[in-house]
Amino acid sequence: MTEIPENTMINTTEPGLAVAPPPVEPPSATLPERPLMELLNVSKTFTVRSGGKRLTLSAVDGVSLRVREGKTLGIVGESGCGKSTLARVITGLHSATSGEMIFDRAQIPATGKRPKDVVQQMQMVFQDPSSALNPRATVGESIAFPLRVQGMSRKEVDARVTKVISDVGLPASYSGSYPHQLSGGQRQRVNIARALALQPRMVVLDEAVSALDKSIQAQVLNLLTDLQRDYNLTYVFISHDLNVVEYISDEVVVLYLGQVVEHAPAKELWENPQHPYTKLLLSSIPSMDPDDSTRDQPLDKDSSEIPSAINPPSGCRFRTRCPMAMEICAQQAPAPIETSDGHLVACHLYTEGSQAAA
Amino acid sequence: MTETFVPPLLPKSFGAGVDPVSRAAAERRKEEWNAAVESVKAQSFWAETGKRFLRNRTGVVAAAIVVALALSAILAPLISPYDPLIGQPVDRLKDIGTPGHILGTDEQGRDMLSRILFGGRLSLLAGFVPTVAAAVIGTLIGVVAGMVRGVVGTVLMRFMDMLYAFPAILLAIAVGSALGAGLTNTIIAVTIVFIPPVARVAESSTRRVVVQEFIEAARLSGASRARIAWSQILPNVLNDIIVYASGLVGVAMIIAASLSFLGLGSAPPAPEWGYMLNSLRGELFTTPLVTIVPGFFIFLTSVAFNLASDALREAMDSRL
Repeated sequence: MTEIPENTMINTTEPGLAVAPPPVEPPSATLPERPLMELLNVSKTFTVRSGGKRLTLSAVDGVSLRVREGKTLGIVGESGCGKSTLARVITGLHSATSGEMIFDRAQIPATGKRPKDVVQQMQMVFQDPSSALNPRATVGESIAFPLRVQGMSRKEVDARVTKVISDVGLPASYSGSYPHQLSGGQRQRVNIARALALQPRMVVLDEAVSALDKSIQAQVLNLLTDLQRDYNLTYVFISHDLNVVEYISDEVVVLYLGQVVEHAPAKELWENPQHPYTKLLLSSIPSMDPDDSTRDQPLDKDSSEIPSAINPPSGCRFRTRCPMAMEICAQQAPAPIETSDGHLVACHLYTEGSQAAA
Repeated sequence: MTETFVPPLLPKSFGAGVDPVSRAAAERRKEEWNAAVESVKAQSFWAETGKRFLRNRTGVVAAAIVVALALSAILAPLISPYDPLIGQPVDRLKDIGTPGHILGTDEQGRDMLSRILFGGRLSLLAGFVPTVAAAVIGTLIGVVAGMVRGVVGTVLMRFMDMLYAFPAILLAIAVGSALGAGLTNTIIAVTIVFIPPVARVAESSTRRVVVQEFIEAARLSGASRARIAWSQILPNVLNDIIVYASGLVGVAMIIAASLSFLGLGSAPPAPEWGYMLNSLRGELFTTPLVTIVPGFFIFLTSVAFNLASDALREAMDSRL
């Protein structure tokens, strides 16, 4: 069972402190900021029927993480690593198969309907701007829907909708427009407005900028950082795009095949990646410098495709693609080890007693 | 994608002025921006659909025919020249164009025009009521099956498939003969025949809509499943169903006419078009044109509804 090591920060602040003091420099992990949300060993499996047999697909396996209030947690991984499933488990669209989720120091039930205030405080922005909006409803109606469900009066709904539309930089008259009249970037702003309508404390962004052009991505990312500052939002930012994650995250979690392989503050992760998968990911970022080819890591295993989640490799799931796999990697799954302040790695290379170089 | 101009995002300010000149410039910028914004103001979906429909000439003509038929049926007592049920045998089987009887007379001497006008009431009722009833019930079944899926959904849809497997006329005859003659029973029979296809359309539409991300977003706001079905799924599904159902009206009339033809529908001397076709059948070689008249009107109604339905589908589907 994966345990969080003793000396990591959980719930160490005074109870009265709701918001962390604004940092002058990027905070180190030792600053006691209360985690807004914690996942403890959360797993999600699906049963898949294939050719008459019932198979188990392990989409998320034993994920533990903390999100600090007012900060951004980036979750990185390739397609198929379970990021989107994790996002849906966090927000409650899927119920977790096992594990605990704690939001604002109260436990969230794994199955069944969530209490109203949890629903209001945790919202999500989806990936595809087009399918995330009801094509038959105006922008204003789409944004007003969650407010009306929560039982707000008509006037309050109108006021909130107007405020939130202008917050995301759209003219208030757009509330009468239909999604097909807006561009992709504008639609994504509408999605963000809808997520903000309930005034949540935490927003999960599942590949929120991936479907946009680069220039629009930049605009939307800047909008997101402005909103975070203005409203003290907590972001869980999921993406496969490392540049975007680096730009917006305070801490980063690297996910592989449903498991956390590394968890570190953003700057630390980029300067000092420790897990072989993280190194592989970072080396695959194309560089603008034509002479810079020294970051190529050898992939000397047969397949460079992600293995199936139905039948994951035994022991460490990355061993089939790892250039530094050892015997122990096939036998035992590595437990996360803290190598420096706030930097967790799940790799046998860093387990005590192993003689591999860092 | 859009033909209209999309104004830039809200500027931070239009500029303030320390002197009247720059203030006037700021005012002008603000007005220009407001005017540009007005031009993107959306009209309601139905208003846009209506405009596009009116640009389609075939659709407009077809819709006009439908409206004319409906009006003539409603106003039948006022415009009908004769009583549809009384006729002189001496006047029987007059041809089309006989002075006093534009459409001729039937085998009992009753004026055809009057009978067509009054028969329209029965036939149009037999066309509309089953369609609307089947649309409502079929949508309910289909949306529930599409949302719930699992065992309940499968059972519902397989039951629909069972009914759908029967040829429509056969099923109508079976139900009609079980219930007995009369217009009401015809309407019930045709409704039952139409529910399975509407349910199939509704279910497949619902399945397509339910996997979209805006449904997940609606779930995230804490809405109950019923509320999501009503406010999110139904508007997206309704369009397919309306278009499908409006094409069914003509078919309903033909089935009702067939049931009358076989003696299962309206009883004589009610001037239902299908019954008229039956009773005039024997005179096909004596006065063929008069015999064809009720059939022609059935055909006209059906074609007009079909063309209007096609035009409606085109008007609703552009850009989406």
